[in-house]
Amino acid sequence: MGTVKLYLKSMAMLLKSQLEYPASFLMQTLAQLIMEGGEFMAVILIVDRFDHLNQWTPGDLFFFFGVMSVTFYLTECFGRGVTGAFPSMVRMGQLDTLLLRPRGVLTQVLCSAIDPRRITCIAVGAAALVMGSRMSGIQWTFLKGIALAESILLGGMMILGLFLIECVFCVYSVKSVEMVNALTYGGRSACQYPIDVYPRPLRLLFTVVAPFALTQHVPAAYILGKPLYHWPAWTAFVCPLAGGMVFAIMYCLFRRALRFYRSTGS
Amino acid sequence: MSYITVTDLQKTFTVRKKREKGHLTREKTLVQALKGVSFSVERGELVGYIGPNGAGKSTTVKILSGILTPDGGQAEVGGRIPWQQRKEHVRHIGVVFGQRSQLWWDVPIADSYALLKDIYQVPPQQHQKRLNELTEALDLGSLLRTPLRLLSLGQRMRAELCGSLLHSPELLFLDEPTIGLDAVSKLALRDFLQFENRQHGTTILLTTHDMEDIAALCSRVMVLGHGSKLFDGSLADLLSRYDTQRIISLRYDGDCALPPLPAGCESIREGDGYRITYAPQTVPTAQMLSLLQSAGPIRELTAQPQNIDHLIADMYREMDL
Repeated sequence: MGTVKLYLKSMAMLLKSQLEYPASFLMQTLAQLIMEGGEFMAVILIVDRFDHLNQWTPGDLFFFFGVMSVTFYLTECFGRGVTGAFPSMVRMGQLDTLLLRPRGVLTQVLCSAIDPRRITCIAVGAAALVMGSRMSGIQWTFLKGIALAESILLGGMMILGLFLIECVFCVYSVKSVEMVNALTYGGRSACQYPIDVYPRPLRLLFTVVAPFALTQHVPAAYILGKPLYHWPAWTAFVCPLAGGMVFAIMYCLFRRALRFYRSTGS
Repeated sequence: MSYITVTDLQKTFTVRKKREKGHLTREKTLVQALKGVSFSVERGELVGYIGPNGAGKSTTVKILSGILTPDGGQAEVGGRIPWQQRKEHVRHIGVVFGQRSQLWWDVPIADSYALLKDIYQVPPQQHQKRLNELTEALDLGSLLRTPLRLLSLGQRMRAELCGSLLHSPELLFLDEPTIGLDAVSKLALRDFLQFENRQHGTTILLTTHDMEDIAALCSRVMVLGHGSKLFDGSLADLLSRYDTQRIISLRYDGDCALPPLPAGCESIREGDGYRITYAPQTVPTAQMLSLLQSAGPIRELTAQPQNIDHLIADMYREMDL
């Protein structure tokens, strides 16, 4: 319980410090809106050219886009410590400070940054989600609600896990290694569309290595009533657990890496 | 059993050089930051830890505070092994890095302190009592609502100290706490550290390059160089080994050439006077004075011991650091 309280308090304080610079905050939030709005426009324009992509109608595609955006940007907003701030924390020696406090390192990393500008991206994603849901005429049930919540939660854990790979490298080399971005940002862009529109190698990548397909597409397809690969309904609830596994594995590696942390300067 | 026991502590870093042109692999060099350091510190001691840059001082502090894992040797602080029981250990220690802030940059320092209370899970009443005590001793009362970024360096150091002592640690590491401070802030800081040490029996380990800090605070000094401990004892003992020279500054009436001095003495022209360095053991002061008087009427003369920084520099030179 103490951890959750600490996280909420930290978030409140970080929000306060961001609002110390209101003009910059507004400008950046606006920039994000334009960026993410543009991305959604691109999807709308592409979808406009076809009546459907495989078995997916435009409404379905908007829904996939919405699920992906909401998940990804919620993670970036609340997990900013892992998804963005960590490399500079290592370089500037802030990690030393965290190690000097009687709390878990990952907890403190998560407590040390928030990115409220993403709220606009989340809003665009939510709008796409609602729009897709209306256009495809989804009949919402309690189970479908659970599936969506699980997909967002565990998808978020998986994304955190992927970003943790970069953190692990960072602890060893004190440098930021951006190659993992291919999986994270690349994964987000690619997996805005359902996995079955892609050729086999990409499908493998986003099912086995960075299982966006399992955390996002399987549940979303279930909610749309067109199960992916005709898998049975229970898969929509079991597959997202892969996201939790990715997180657990990366968390173990992260803890190991800290034993080899070598700090910087004096 | 001592409070801190360190036995044969070793730490090696691998430093990769930048790849040279035409080479595929980068050259690796091993740097032994600590080559088997041993010492022990009793509860309530105030110990100075000195040595030139790169001697391994910070590495020692980082190992003892649980940030780094050593490659060999043992260390125990209050019965805990820092890097194995990190969370339990850091509950009982405070660390101040002179060049690194531990508080939040954009929020009033009072908010930082409130968050630290939650991080260390200090009961509210105890926290308030301690906060009152520290804000009074460090004269922070009027600054509590000011964001850290708006504080001057001296104010910031006081704020950092307060933050690192809020959870009433039994051990305090200070890494160059007076770096860049003005005279008034330095003196205030020293007074406060003495107060904290006496009032609460806090054990303090201080690394610094400022010998005045050591002279004012520490009854015991450890000298570290090239990863080994070179000296452990009182500052007076350390100085008496190297404090062998005296300095005479003098000015003659009118222009007067200096007489030839005995071997081992040095003279520098300073304005219209001279500055002479000699060792009283080889050339007694009386002999030196009569020699100087023989050259002409002396208008002004002062004799003084060598500056403490010079002594330390001599010492480092002699120890080949």
